[in-house]
This record gives sequence, structure tokens and C-alpha cells, in this order.
Amino acid sequence: MSTTALDTSVRPEDRFISAFEVNHGEALNGTNASISKQRTDAIERFAELGIPTNNLEAWKYTDISSVIDRPYTLPLAPERPSLDTDDIAPFLIDDLDAHRVVLINGRVDEALSDIGDLPDGVVVSSLAQAGSTHPDVVEEHYGKYADFEDEALTALNTAFVQDGAFVYVPSGTVVEKPIFFLHLTATEQDLLLQPRHLFVAEDGAIARIVEAQHSLSDAQTFTNTVSESFIGEKANLEHYLIQDQGPSASQVHTRAAQQKDDSVYTTISATFTGEVVRNNVTIEADGSFCESNFYGLVVGKDDMHVDNHTFMGHVQPDCSSNELYKHVLNDESTGVFNGKVFVSRGSQRIDAYQQNDTLVLTKDAEIYTKPELEIYADDVVCSHGATTGQIDEESLFYLRSRGLSKRRARILMLQAFAQEVIDEIQLDSLEEHVAERVRTRFSSYFA
Amino acid sequence: MSTSETEYLKGKASEEYKHGWYTDIESEKAPRGLSEDIVRYISKRKDEPEWLTEWRLKAYRYFKQLIDSGHYPDWAHLDYERPDFENMRYFAAPNGQAQYESLDDVPDEILETFERLGIPLEEQKALTGVAVDAVMDSVSVATTFKEKLREKGVIFKSFGEAAKDHPELVRQHLGSVVPYTDNLYAALNSAVFSDGSFVYVPEGVTCPMELSTYFRINEAGTGQFERTLIVTEPGAYVSYLEGCTAPMRKENQLHAAVVELVAHEDSEIKYSTIQNWYPGDEDGNGGIYNLVTKRGICKGDNSKISWTQLETGSAVTQKYPSVILAGDNSVGEFYSVAFTKGHQQADTGTKMQHIGKNTKSTIISKGISADVADNSYRGLVKVSANADGARNFSQCDSMLLGPDCGAHTYPYIESNNPTAQIEHEATTSKVGDDQMFYCHQRGLGEEEALKLIVNGFCQEVLQELPMEFAVEAKELLDIELEGSVG
Repeated sequence: MSTTALDTSVRPEDRFISAFEVNHGEALNGTNASISKQRTDAIERFAELGIPTNNLEAWKYTDISSVIDRPYTLPLAPERPSLDTDDIAPFLIDDLDAHRVVLINGRVDEALSDIGDLPDGVVVSSLAQAGSTHPDVVEEHYGKYADFEDEALTALNTAFVQDGAFVYVPSGTVVEKPIFFLHLTATEQDLLLQPRHLFVAEDGAIARIVEAQHSLSDAQTFTNTVSESFIGEKANLEHYLIQDQGPSASQVHTRAAQQKDDSVYTTISATFTGEVVRNNVTIEADGSFCESNFYGLVVGKDDMHVDNHTFMGHVQPDCSSNELYKHVLNDESTGVFNGKVFVSRGSQRIDAYQQNDTLVLTKDAEIYTKPELEIYADDVVCSHGATTGQIDEESLFYLRSRGLSKRRARILMLQAFAQEVIDEIQLDSLEEHVAERVRTRFSSYFA
Repeated sequence: MSTSETEYLKGKASEEYKHGWYTDIESEKAPRGLSEDIVRYISKRKDEPEWLTEWRLKAYRYFKQLIDSGHYPDWAHLDYERPDFENMRYFAAPNGQAQYESLDDVPDEILETFERLGIPLEEQKALTGVAVDAVMDSVSVATTFKEKLREKGVIFKSFGEAAKDHPELVRQHLGSVVPYTDNLYAALNSAVFSDGSFVYVPEGVTCPMELSTYFRINEAGTGQFERTLIVTEPGAYVSYLEGCTAPMRKENQLHAAVVELVAHEDSEIKYSTIQNWYPGDEDGNGGIYNLVTKRGICKGDNSKISWTQLETGSAVTQKYPSVILAGDNSVGEFYSVAFTKGHQQADTGTKMQHIGKNTKSTIISKGISADVADNSYRGLVKVSANADGARNFSQCDSMLLGPDCGAHTYPYIESNNPTAQIEHEATTSKVGDDQMFYCHQRGLGEEEALKLIVNGFCQEVLQELPMEFAVEAKELLDIELEGSVG
């Protein structure tokens, strides 16, 4: 396998810049032209921006530079660990009848995938493959929604893009079964991975995408994912993400979506493990009568650090957005939430709701929350709320008076708290899967 | 908003700032620019003890260091030209006098100035129950009811006098809440501060009347840098109010004050502000840059500090009156109405730092924005690891009057304690058509209806003001609304 060991004797930024110089034109080529042409701009912008530090307002509570400053190896050609279906079995979701794609270290593994029959014109493949089979779709949408102007890590991803997932649902097409991407990290080395995904739902298309991230290794990994979604007029895209890569994996996961008139986009993340997890979720409602929903659930344990950073951009009138993030923080875990609702001048009749609720269960758990509103139009109803507290003693007392043990009562209370997010999952099998995992986690809190 | 309403309000928009006149009085001014010599000059003019001069110089050197290394606080949601620190006068004494022994020495022009502002300085004419310290440019011209306060042991005098008469008190507390290293403007203020008020309420005393300071900028090309320090001993109570106005000028003038409050156990300080500095003309020229550092510390157990502010003036306002809740069971409150119209910009809010056990804080912020103004709430609620039982409630509502203004909310919540309960909520909306309809249907005209609704929106805050000022505040808000374009 072709890899580049990052030179740890120099500044982290320079490691990437020299790795880029060494590999540009060789290992990094061979993909689509529209992907290649952004590389140089992206690495230049990365060099200017540098790796974010705590001095940047957007990274105030998450120290990503120390996570990136480790002796990772950068894989540049497909790595093919020999895995069989038994290896992936533990990560499949019971009763989820889906078009399944398995990605190992950011590369589609066709042997393990089971895409099955897709409706006419629908494409589920690797991004690299789409670069040659559907260059026009890639050209039209790639790099258009995840802006790297202010995001160093998006720039870094754009410079080193090799592969990732690709979904294309043509106009008026409904994909009945969900499309399931299982992302696995399988490595003995400390790897730095940068997968890149592109999901396109054209006008009137309906699709549901489920992504699950897991790891087969204990090696330290850093995954810098960027996924871009396009939701055309009257289209409806549901996008689910389960983050469970284990305690030695860190990641920055950027989800950028653009919506057109009358479309609906829903994205839900559930974070179970990870050393440092940062989610950048950006939705731009670039059309009238859009509905945008984002939800997130964090069930913290040990010293995991989870930062949900969201941006809702209302740049057209008559739209609505709903945002709900819930954190349950146990042990020494840290939760960070920063949500911004932006309403541009002239974007009238916007309804925007944003809520962040946190339960802090221990003395060493911490929460930093910053729900922001930036509004430049008057005929709007925008609100945000944030609460931080603990399990309500009176409710606990009530449950105990009904005969529940203290442990059972607490677990039930936490489940009720988390359920508000879980309820938003429209796929029954996935909802049950998440609810069960959450219940197991809560039980472990009071073992 | 309906067309007729818009038309009506547009017609009203030409109404001018009421306090925009200038008193033509000779004034002694420091030369333009800032240097160690200027700092020494100010200190000398104020006849200050050596330690204070040294403290000023230390602050000046820190300021210089910040400026030289390019540090400027530009993180707020504000867009304005940085003040030219080298082209400003840092001291202006009306009538060339840095201090007045008694009211008889104060020239008639100055007395008339304050009378015209509705602040008569002769005690027989003054509002009973309110003692006033009147500050014009860099000098305190008079303090009323000093005698009556002295009977109770309350010290209420200009900062300059206090530094001479009570050096031990001033020295102990000056910079203890807002050190000169706090930020650029705190450093600048510490170097060049002129008169403000000093209040000291001894143990167990409830101050018999409201204390008030009225600040007036008169001279052109100057800034005002007052410093206020309020100390309450155990069991004491004081209610303090500041008001301010300035003439209309094409240039921007800087107001960079520092206010420090120290509340010992079982004591309470209630600090109210009605800020009505000149906001600039309708094209956004001129106006005051109001860049202020205000902070209080609840040092003792069961102490309480309450900030109430009505911000209607200034071209640019940046201030975050804060409370450090160090004592157990201490209480911090922040009630604010910020009204911006025309080209005004405000970035204001509070910081509540919970350190002691069972501390409580309440934040109620109402932002109203009209024309092309920008109004931001920015606040921090921080609960330290040992602040068991901390409780916070925050509510930040914004109201938008017109399609071209902006309202923004940036609340920060940092909690390191599982027993903390923090609630924050914020809403942004316009005056409801249904509310207007209801008012019309009850026979109220456009303007009356708008006034009623906006006053209702602000009621939670206005009711916190001392009675005499609640009326003034309501009137001020009404006048502001008359000038706002729907």
C-alpha cells in the first residue's frame, strides 16, 4: 500500500503541505478533473488558514490542533485489509433492509457491499467511480456546498480527496429502501483518513441515507470527513449518522447541504464514542418554502469530547427550520454546542427554532453551549433555548414512589430525555437500534 | 407594518436629539494626544497622591504596549472606525477649574446647563430623595445633599475628592474588580480617568436616598473617561443611578468609563443607567462611542448586585455589566433594554460568574432595533466546579421594527458543575399584526399602539428602575419610538 508518513519534525501544517507537494500529480491524480482542479486552491487556502486553534471563536472549546499533531500516516492508495462478512456482521443494523455499501478506510469495498437493485437512474457508488461514470453530476455539485474559504479542515480534505461515497437520485425518483453506508476503519497504523462524500437528490427525488462509523482497530486514527448534499426542488432527503469509532478515534465531520424550493432536508446524528468528535453541520436553504431539520444526540462517557457546531443559513423567505441537540454527559465527558441561525436581509417569514438541552451527571463532566441568532429581517419568528441541569429530583421521587429502583428510575429518566431526538428518526429499524444502544449506555452509567 | 403607520413614523423620524445643544463656556483643555506627560498632567491637575499617579502610569504603559502590538478588541458585532487616540484631548475642565469648593463657586452657565437638562443643583430645587453628583467633561461640578448623607456616614463625592479625603478606601478597592489589564479601554481609562463618583456605605446603613451621577460631555475633541467606585460594607444598601447626554457633533467622541462595585456580606448594590448619549445624525455621522467596562463583585455571603440599564443613545455601545458571584448565596441580576435606531449599533449583555455556593443570577435583556441599526446581546454564564447549587435564568428577547435592521444573540454558557441549573431562552420577532389590530380595535392610533406594545415588551426591565427614573425611562422610550421608522 502506498502511504506517506507525515514528517513530525516540522509544524503540522507543513507536514501536509509537503505531503501534498510530494504526491500531487502522482498518487493524487487519476480522479475526476473537477475534483483535481480544486486541490491546489485548497492546499493554498489551508496554508493560509493553518490548523484551527482555540483562539478562533469557532474552535474556542475544542482543541483539534493537538489531535492533528500526532504521527499519523496518510494513506494514498486503496488499502485492502482482508475482511469478510463475519467481520462486518457486528456493525449491521438488525432488520434494516437497505442498499448496503461498505467502505474500509474511506474506500468502497465491493466484495462486502450489497447494493442490490436500484430504481432506474439511481447511482450508489464510490466517488472516484462517479468521477468517471457521472462527470457532469460531479462537476455540477462537487465542492459547491462545503466552502473551504474559512474552514481549514475542509480545505485539507479538498486538497487530498481520493474517494468516498456517492449517491445520485435523478429527478422524480423515489428510492424506497434506505441506502446504508458502513464506514469501517481497519488498520494497524495510526491513520489520518479524509473521506469525501457527495449526495445528490434532484428535483422531486426522495431518499434516505444512513451512515454508521465504526472501527476494527485500537490504533489512533483521525478522520476528516466532508460530505456534501444537494436537495433539489420538492426533494426530500433524510440523512442519518451514527458515530461510534471507539475511544482512540477522533474526527471532524463536516456535513454541508444546500436546499432548493419546497425541499425537506433532515439530518440526525447520534454520537456514542470517540476521543474528540467535532461535527460541522451547515445547511443553506437557498429556496423558498424549505424545511430544514437537524437533530443530534450525544451520550457521553469516559473522557470523550463532542462538539456539535451548526449553522442554519436562511437566505430565502418563507422557510422553516428546527434544531434540537441533546447531550447526556457522564464521567469526564465534555459537550460543546454552538448553533447559529442566520437570517439574511429580505428573508422574511422565517420560522426558526433552536434548542440545546444538556444533562450533566458528574462533577467532572462539562458543557459549553452557545446558541446564536443573527437576524436581519423583521417578519420572522426565531427562538432559541438552552438548558443545563441534572436529573430532576422530584420526578425521580415520583418514579421511586411507583416502585422503581433508583437505578431503573434514573435510566428511565435519561431515556425519556433522549427519546425526543430518537423520535425524529423515521426509519423504524434504525430508531430501535439507536434506542437500544442508548438504553445500554445509560444502564452502564449506573452499573 | 401597514403603510400609513410607516408614513406616520417616517414623518416623525426628523425629530431631533433633545440634548444636542452646547454650552459656550471657556474651558481648559489638555493638549491633544496621549503620553506619560499627559497622564502626569491630569494627575497633577487633580492634585493626586503619588501612588495614584504611579498607578495611572502603569496603566498607560500597559495601554501603550497593547496599542503598539496591534491589539484592538474587534470581536464584537460592531462596525466603526477606531478612535484616533493621538488626536484626542484627555482632559477638559469647564471654566479652567478642576474642582469646586462649593456651589457658590460654580459659574451660572454650568448651573444653567444642568438646569436645562432637568438636573437643578440647588438643593431646595432638587428632587427630594435624590443626591446628584454632576460631572461636566472631566470635572465634577457639584454634589448635592452631601451633608445629609454625611450624617449617616455615607460617603458620596467625586472620585478626585475621594482620592484625597479617603486614600485608604480608594487605594484598597481601585482596580480590584476591573484591573487595568482587563482590556484596552480599561487600561486607557485607568491611565487618564477623570471624575466619576465614589460611594461608600458603612456597615448596616441603608442609604437614605437615591444617589445619582449625571455625566455631560460638553467640549469638542475630548473624550470622557469617568471612573466610578461603589463599596458597601456588611448589611449596607445603596441604589445608584447614572444618566448622560452630549451635544450634537459631526465627529465621534469617545466615552470609556470604568465602574467597579464591591458588595460585602449581606449588602446590596442596585445600579441603574439611563444612557442617552448623542447617537449621531440620521446619516450615521457623529455620535458617542460608548465603550465601557462595568463589573461588580459579590464578595461577601448573601450579597446582591443588580444592574439595570436603558440604553437609547450612543452611535456605538459596547458594554457588559457583569457580576462575579464569589460569596455563597449571592445574587446577580441584569435587566437591560437596548434601543437602537438610525445607524446606531449596540453589542451589550452581561457576564455572570458563579463561584460561591447556591448563587443565583437572572438575566433579562430586551433589544429593540429599527431603521438600519444593529443590536446584539452577548452574554456569558459560567459555573465553576465548586459553585454547587448555582442557578441561572436568562431571557433575551429581540424586537425588530422594520426590514433593514438586525438583531443578534450570542449567549455563552459554560458549566462545570452537575448541580447547576441553567436556562436560557431567546426570541426574535416583530410587533405582531394581531397585537396592533387589537389596539386599533380598542381605539388606539398607530403611534399609541406601538408605544403601548413596546413599553409592554420592556416592562419587565423598566419596573426594576427606581420610581423617579422609571417615569423618565418610559418617556425616553416614547420619544425614541416617535423617531423610529416603521
